[in-house]
Formats: sequence, structure tokens, C-alpha cells
Amino acid sequence: MIELQGLTKRYGETRVVDDISLTVEQGEFCVLIGPSGCGKSTTLKMINRLISHSEGKVLVGGEDITTLPPERLRRRIGYAIQSIGLFPHWRVADNIATVPKLLKWPSSRIAARVEELLALFQLDDEGLHDKYPHQLSGGQAQRVGVARALAADPDVLLMDEPFGAVDPLTRDTLQAELARVHRQTGKTIVFVTHDMDEALRLASRVALLNAGQLVQYDRPAELLVAPANDFVRDFIGRADLGLKLLSRRRVEEYCRPAQRTRNNAIASAPITWQVDANDRPMALLGGRLGEPETARTVVNPEWTATPEMSMKEALSRMVWFRVTALPVLDGEGRLLGEVTMSGVMGHRS
Amino acid sequence: MNVGALSRPRSSRRALLISLSVLLIALVVGMEQLAPLFRALFPDQDPAMYERESFLNLTLAHLALVLVSSLVSVSVGVAAGLFVTRPAGREFEPLVSTLAAIGQTFPPAAVLAIVVPVAGFGFVPTLVALVLYGLLPVVQNTIAGLGTVPSQTLEAARGNGMSAWQILWRIELPLAMRVIIAGVRVSVIINIGTATIGSTVGAKTLGTPIIAGLVGNNLPYVVQGAVLVGLLAIVTDLAFERLEQRFSFGEGGNAE
Ligand SMILES: Nc1ncnc2c1ncn2[C@@H]1O[C@H](COP(=O)(O)OP(=O)(O)OP(=O)(O)O)[C@@H](O)[C@H]1O
Ligand SMILES: [Mg+2]
Repeated sequence: MIELQGLTKRYGETRVVDDISLTVEQGEFCVLIGPSGCGKSTTLKMINRLISHSEGKVLVGGEDITTLPPERLRRRIGYAIQSIGLFPHWRVADNIATVPKLLKWPSSRIAARVEELLALFQLDDEGLHDKYPHQLSGGQAQRVGVARALAADPDVLLMDEPFGAVDPLTRDTLQAELARVHRQTGKTIVFVTHDMDEALRLASRVALLNAGQLVQYDRPAELLVAPANDFVRDFIGRADLGLKLLSRRRVEEYCRPAQRTRNNAIASAPITWQVDANDRPMALLGGRLGEPETARTVVNPEWTATPEMSMKEALSRMVWFRVTALPVLDGEGRLLGEVTMSGVMGHRS
Repeated sequence: MNVGALSRPRSSRRALLISLSVLLIALVVGMEQLAPLFRALFPDQDPAMYERESFLNLTLAHLALVLVSSLVSVSVGVAAGLFVTRPAGREFEPLVSTLAAIGQTFPPAAVLAIVVPVAGFGFVPTLVALVLYGLLPVVQNTIAGLGTVPSQTLEAARGNGMSAWQILWRIELPLAMRVIIAGVRVSVIINIGTATIGSTVGAKTLGTPIIAGLVGNNLPYVVQGAVLVGLLAIVTDLAFERLEQRFSFGEGGNAE
């Protein structure tokens, strides 16, 4: 969908982007990451010609971008930035409708599209439609910024640290929403960040840049397991590499059958779950650190896991609640299986 | 003046604007009715009421002068401000700012002294002086207003596929409008006052009774002219204040 061929940007003698070649396939979520000043934003902006390139080529959908008038190109590519850049004198709905209006869509189609996007970003229930940007919270404004980028249903979405300016909790929500929107729409996304956790969470491919050059372009797991050199290792952070890896893994990959009992009796296995008539876990028998094997610990909703939870979070819960196993529950709270401390160590891919 | 504008509720400003406008109109058309009052106040002055020309005519002439000069100042000033903030004209910015500043440092009397020998007496030299005088605030505020548009807003506009013209019309001008109008407001208010000087070179304005009163030692003439000029300036200022508020889009604004 997007092809960079020997892409280079020179300012005077300095090559701030130096001979970058990579391909982003249709539907891919490509994250550009690297230290500050390494040329991420410059690379991104050369894709929609906000910055003209000095050498090389950019193809979008197989077309050389220099063959199109820049405005036409940009109306086909969504663009969202950290500072959001909502137009302060336009209401939310008008902001979202920016590109459809430029494309002269009929007003009924624009209105329908705006409603659709407000719903997609869960912005529809607060009368937000008619508000001005200064009346929005940071998180709402970011959502509107992303909705505006998606308005004309572009195949490609470029995002430059769109969640850089919001608090961690909101960022977390926005990341989850973007991941969902990406799954639902199948857009090709190029996303700039300098936050490795964000990259690992969202990316289907990560491009790690340093001093204008592409150091490694790989799937997140490969980046973690097979870093190309010391720079990559250092950038990912050697110290918590293991945790990073676990943050990419989901509980269901580690879930294994649980030993059940309907009464207090200790079964043969070291960890046994006492369940009620509906197969909901009531207590953990054994498996509590620093307690005798026979200890009975009542299951607390805070130390359970779901199949979609990241293993990093599951491990964190085990550590915090001092248990060596978590029950994995389905939507109804029934016991699907368990994840255990030793299981975390045993699994490796 | 602006502190008062912020501290007082908007509705009372509106009532003030309306009542002062009514007072202004009443005085312009009915000043003659106050003749007994002026005679009582100034018993020693023989004609205690300026009657060589109706106040309506003087006011209309004054307004015409201010209107024409302001139209010229605003169109030239905004065009110059726009030009030097485009990529093509950026290098002329210091030059234009300096020229506009020089225009304002000339005392209006000096401009009249220079223009009269060339253009003769009356309307034209006054117009030239007023245009030169009114240019600076417009140019300055156009440049400043366009400068307040955040670069991220402009980047977003470009990134969303707006052309340079679309960015100017839909984004930059609306966002800069409040500051530009503030410049126009200063320019017009200055010109309402300065236009009175035009009477020294024979332009018909509300300055005519003032000058006549000063020359003929007739205080009532001065008062009659000055009250009208002062009221006109205040009413115009209040009207601009309301206009400016329409173009505020941030906190505390009233972009309804
Ligand atoms: N107009 C310019 N002229 C000269 N150098 C520039 C210009 N714009 C950017 N640069 C330089 O190019 C390099 C790359 O800039 P870029 O904005 O792409 O970095 P980045 O990776 O996005 O950094 P950050 O994470 O801080 O946003 C920087 O060293 C910057 O100083
Ligand atoms: Mg950047």
C-alpha cells in the first residue's frame, strides 16, 4: 500500500532521513519509532508531501505521490497529529467534516458520515456534535482529531504521536479504541511514537529509526526476540525485555486446564480450585506464597484473569496478590483454566 | 476602557451603546433645540449656537471622510499585512512595518502642510492624512492576528488537503479576524478625532465649529462640535467592541 524507496531528506548537507526503504502492506499497522530527532515525523510528512523529499520515491497505492497534486493526495490520506490541530472556530461536526466538505460530498452524506464517526469513537452521547474544540477534554479532542482523519474514508492513515499529550489512563483507552478501529476498518496505518510500549501494543510492524536511518523493520515479537544490534536492544530496554515480551502475549496462550473440586478437600495437584455449582471459582487451595500447601484463599475478583488480558498484567496481579496462579474466567465468571507462575517461565516462543 | 468591558455584563454594554446612539442622533438633528440652554449658559456670547451649517450636514461630511479614509486604510493595510505573511512576500515584512510606522509618526498637521500645496484645500489632503494615519494599526494587527494562528492548526489544514486559498479564507482570516478588527477599531477611532483637523484646510467636518469657535473665541461652538465628535467616537468604539466579540473562539468567548 505504501512503499518508500531510498527515501532521503537533506537540509543543507545534513541527511535527516537517509535512504529509507520499506513497504507497508495493505491493512498493516506500521509504527515508526526511534529517539527524538531521528526523523520519524519527517519520514511521515514526506508520505503526504507536507515535506518534499530530496531523493528516492514514495508510492501510495502503487502511484508515485509526485504525480498527484498535493491537495488531492492529502484528501486521500488521513492525517492526525499530537497537538490535534482542531480548527478552533469550527464545531466538532464541522471539524470532522473537513475533508468530505473539501471533496464536495452532498450534505446529507456528510451528516451521515459524521454521525457514524461520532458513534465509532463513542462521542455520540454527550451532545458533543455542536461543541467547540475548547469545550472538549483532551481525550475527546484526540478522538475528534482521529475521527477527522478518517472522515473521507481514506485507505491510509498517518498519525504523528496522536496520543502524546494525554494522561496515561486516557492514552490507554485511546490505544484500545484505535486498535479496535484498525481491526474494524482494516486501514493501513503509519503511526509515529517514541513510546515502546505503545508501539508493541499497536504495531503489526515496527520500523526502528536512528539518526535518519532504518535500523530494523520487523514484527514486534521478532524485534524483541531477535534485535538486529545493540542499539535495538538498548532502545527496547534490556532491563524489562521479558516484561515487554509478556505484554505482547495474551493469557489464553498460557492458559492450561485447572484442577477442580467441589469441597474443601485437597486434591492431588498442588493447585486446586474450589468451584461452586455454576463452575465459578470460590477459593484457591494451595498456591499461596509463604503459606502452607493446604491454605485456602478466597478468590477475589481482582486476582482473576481473562483470556484477552496481557500476560504482563496477569503476572503483575500474581506478584501483587502473592499467589502463584490466577483463575482464567469467561464472560460469565466460569473457570476456563489457570495461568501459573511456573507456566510463565515454561512458555517460550 | 477594556477593563470596564470585561467587568461589566454584556447586556449593559448593549444598553449603553443603544442609549448613546440615540443621544448622538438626537443631538445631530436637534442641536438647535438646545439654543436656549446655550444662551443661558453663555449669556455673553452673541450667537450661542453654530448656525453656518447644519450639524447633520457636518456629521455626514465627517462620517464620509472617515468612512472613505478607513476603507482605503483597511484595504491597503490588510492587503499589505496579507502580502508580507505569505511565503512570497515574507522578505518585505520589515519594510512594510517600517513604512506604516513612519506614516503614523508624522503629525497630521505636517501631512496637511505637505499635501495642501500639491492637492489643494479641502477633502483630498485631509483624506490623504487620515489614510496615512490609519494605516499602521491595520497593518500591525493584520500581521499580529495572522501570527496568532497556531502552526499546528495550519499544519492540520494542509495535512487535510486544503489549498493555500482555502487555508487563508477558512482558517487564517476567521481566526485572525478579532485582532484585525481591533486594529481597524483603533484606526477608525483615531480618524474620527483626526478628521477634525481637516477643517483647518477647509474640509467640512465636525471640526469646523470647533475651529471657528477657537478662532472667534466662541466657547459654545467648540462645545457643540466637541460633544458630537466625542459621542461619535464612543458610539463607534462600542459598536466595534461588539463586532470583535463575534470573532472570539476561545475560553470566555461568545462564539454562539
Ligand atoms: N526545516 C528544517 N531544517 C533543518 N533541520 C530540520 C528541519 N526540520 C527538521 N529538522 C531536523 O531533522 C531531524 C529530524 O526531525 P523530525 O522532526 O523528523 O524528528 P522526530 O524523529 O520526529 O523527533 P521527535 O521525536 O522529537 O518528534 C531533527 O534533527 C531536526 O532538527
Ligand atoms: Mg516528531
